[in-house]
Amino acid sequence: MCQKESEIKQNPSHFEGTAEELEMSKTIQANYMDYVKGMKFFDPHIHMTSRTTDDYTALVDAGVVAIIEPAFWLGQPRTGLASFKDYYSSLVGWERFRSSQFGIKHYCTIGLNSREANNEALAEEVMEILPLFLYKEGVVGVGEIGFDDQTAAEEKYYRQQLEMSKEAGLPVQVHTPHRDKKKGTELSMSIALEHAIDPGMVIIDHNNEETVESVLDKGFWAAFTIYPFTKMGNERMVELVKKYGPERIMINSAADWGISDPLAVPKTAALMKIRGISDEAIKMVCYQNAIDAFAQSGQINVADFETPQVIDQSLKFNGNTVLRGGQIPRVDKNSIFIS
Amino acid sequence: MDLKDNLFEIIKVNASQKEQDWIETKANGSLQSMQTAFVATPRFISKTPVNSDITLRGISFETWTLDRLVRAYFLVCLDNSDIEIYIKTLNTLFETAENNEAVALISSLALLENPESWLLRATDAVRTNIGVVFDAIAFDNPYAKTYFSELAWNQLVLKCIFNDKPIHKIQGLDERPNKELAISISNLAHERWAAGRTIPPQAWRLVTNFLDEIILEDIKKLFASTNDNDQLAAALVCKNSEFPLAKSELIKHIELDEKAKNLSWSALEV
Repeated sequence: MCQKESEIKQNPSHFEGTAEELEMSKTIQANYMDYVKGMKFFDPHIHMTSRTTDDYTALVDAGVVAIIEPAFWLGQPRTGLASFKDYYSSLVGWERFRSSQFGIKHYCTIGLNSREANNEALAEEVMEILPLFLYKEGVVGVGEIGFDDQTAAEEKYYRQQLEMSKEAGLPVQVHTPHRDKKKGTELSMSIALEHAIDPGMVIIDHNNEETVESVLDKGFWAAFTIYPFTKMGNERMVELVKKYGPERIMINSAADWGISDPLAVPKTAALMKIRGISDEAIKMVCYQNAIDAFAQSGQINVADFETPQVIDQSLKFNGNTVLRGGQIPRVDKNSIFIS
Repeated sequence: MDLKDNLFEIIKVNASQKEQDWIETKANGSLQSMQTAFVATPRFISKTPVNSDITLRGISFETWTLDRLVRAYFLVCLDNSDIEIYIKTLNTLFETAENNEAVALISSLALLENPESWLLRATDAVRTNIGVVFDAIAFDNPYAKTYFSELAWNQLVLKCIFNDKPIHKIQGLDERPNKELAISISNLAHERWAAGRTIPPQAWRLVTNFLDEIILEDIKKLFASTNDNDQLAAALVCKNSEFPLAKSELIKHIELDEKAKNLSWSALEV
């Protein structure tokens, strides 16, 4: 739906919103970022290994100060243990460094995703190396784990990883399936409760209008993925926050190798602001709740991103190129010259 | 006292009683529990800078944090009675290391058994683009000067110059200059100049003993530079060089000749 007056003039027949929306469309400033100036954002689900440096720059500009990158599937199945090992290593190694170059604090969750749980021989091997990664600095949870096709193998490794989370004292980030979502969500929650896991340690992800109520009622965190076409749109999200309030609700972009939007969190914050949701509620949904949920890992020190000049002691020594003087090297996109 | 005891003495000065207790329970555990302790160290040990004036095997610990020191201690405590298992254990740590673990491993290379077996790990640290890991092999670390081939050594120094890093912090910098390195520095400067860029002036210290008529042309160019530090670098090279033509070049620049008399390369160490 068109939101800007200029677009309405060009395409009048396309605009079929309410009178209220028509009025609002006339007053919205051209740059939505004006509505969230000075706000800080935390995106608790974004796959930066699939994104470019342009995205990192855009995240910084939009006020995203920290992110969580869950371990997921790469679009095609891995064929050996070494691929898993290298992937997990890259989440705590190269990607963490890449992110730090933009002054964004990078955390991750580590786990065996549901699709690849179906290769049982390989899954067994992965289970053996997971503990080596779960105890690393900046690993804030076991994730993203859960159901995809809802097979027996998926259930087996979901249960095993729930036990590992208990052992390590880590929160769990649960992926809920695209197909048969409601049933998959209920199953994920009941299994977690069966393993005596505190629902306050579990973030149920990719919720929608159909699943949210049950998730909140049972005491779990409800995360929403703002992702074009296949998951939530942000106008629907605004309505959900109006209906359920900001308690235990968080949003994320889950931006990855598909058509997705790394700025989903700040954009949705702007839309919430425009639609009259309080700054305090926006802060909870777009920043604080995610921190509260994942900081239960003991691995999040908010000083690392709230006061960016206080950087990790061990990173402060010479040669740290990009954070020097708080400057991020920028490419002038409009210039034809590359120098 | 052996290495292990010496390290623990430094830890004692820097760690709380609670931290020391945790370290002691872990240091006497099985290989696997020590491996896990190495990974989990920052959960129990603070990241405060280490305060110590002790140097062990060429490592001064001045730029270290306590968690890194404790990790080094665990590495030294690893049972090496079966060298194959010892190497396998360390390889697992290298292969699964996050950035701070990698820094701890690389900066501890000189403390490990069988130092030669870690050569590939060390040169991989030179290949990395992760700043802190590269710095861990490059600076305040005796490993490279002792074990690197000339080729690997030159790569390390060139990459520092290339990335504007402080070469004077490389241990053994003045002990391992060589003709190949001097030629590479000259070539790098040519590339940079062609692109309208520069190299850090102190890099020229490494050509001093290898001046010839070709490299002298570079030095002439530095004398003609509008950058004071380039000019000073040219004067320092000529002052310290045995190459006869260098002296005759230097006296053409009386003011710089005078200036260089009272200065050393430390004036350009940034």
